[in-house]
Amino acid sequence: MNFLSLLFRNLKNGPSTEAFPFGPARTPARFRGRIAFDAPSCEGCKLCERVCPANAIKFTKSADGLAFDCWHDTCVFCGNCEFYCPTKSIRQTTDWHLAHTQAEKYTMVEHGLIPNMKCVECGATALDTAPNVAKVKPAMAAEEVAELRARCPKCRAKFLKARRAKP
Amino acid sequence: MNIIADLKKVATKSPWLYRINAGSCNGCDVELATTACIPRYDVERLGCQYCGSPRHADIVLITGPLTARVKDAVLRLWEEIPDPKVTVAVGVCPISGGIFRESYAVHAPIDRYLPVDVNVPGCPPRPQAIIEGVAKAIELWREKL
Repeated sequence: MNFLSLLFRNLKNGPSTEAFPFGPARTPARFRGRIAFDAPSCEGCKLCERVCPANAIKFTKSADGLAFDCWHDTCVFCGNCEFYCPTKSIRQTTDWHLAHTQAEKYTMVEHGLIPNMKCVECGATALDTAPNVAKVKPAMAAEEVAELRARCPKCRAKFLKARRAKP
Repeated sequence: MNIIADLKKVATKSPWLYRINAGSCNGCDVELATTACIPRYDVERLGCQYCGSPRHADIVLITGPLTARVKDAVLRLWEEIPDPKVTVAVGVCPISGGIFRESYAVHAPIDRYLPVDVNVPGCPPRPQAIIEGVAKAIELWREKL
């Protein structure tokens, strides 16, 4: 009579087939899917470009600034970029809806731009990257970080040196 | 004429799938087997069925980066599939080469040699993504008929 309990259990639980594509599909919370890039918090260290095994990530310098491009069609979703990113501005979303027609092949790109800006102190053109202040002691306030951000790399070093010299 | 239209209606309900392994690492092939054989995914709900002969196929799923060794065999096989056919590139390897890009032993991307219609990126793509790609391919195939 074992089959009867099996039958009732199967009737109670319903089919084990997922409804997708006619309904939503279950996605694990930590699924490694499409890459998302947040340009304002990027430090511009290009470590992700270096560690990417498939060369999916490319930084290109232009007159507007530093452009970030990640081509999903060659990304292998290994998560190296997310692991090594010091500011966590690159991360993997749970989005896996990447199937596309041939016409869209070269539009499957995650694009971000780190714009150029003028240094408030010396007026030189520099990239508007986020400063890495995690290891600065004592910890910096948000206004101080904004002040530091408005400067070019050389003036940032000077700013930090002057800050250390302060009692 | 009416009979042909009716037959067409029936025939477009069940495209048959054919797999070509163009030097794949087997990851995508395992996922393709999973989509068909595991009740949780079950691609046969869409009327699809894997067939053993390229001459019976309507939708061809290509995995792998088209290695130099299998290139001629793959192109010959692809020629044998009757028109109209829909080509689906499964995994990043046939689409761009993925991790094997710019290798001397690999002829990826595959769209240099044959017209690809649908791309399903992933390394490997999850079964639901493959089902999504197959659903897109079926739409294209119905348009082609």
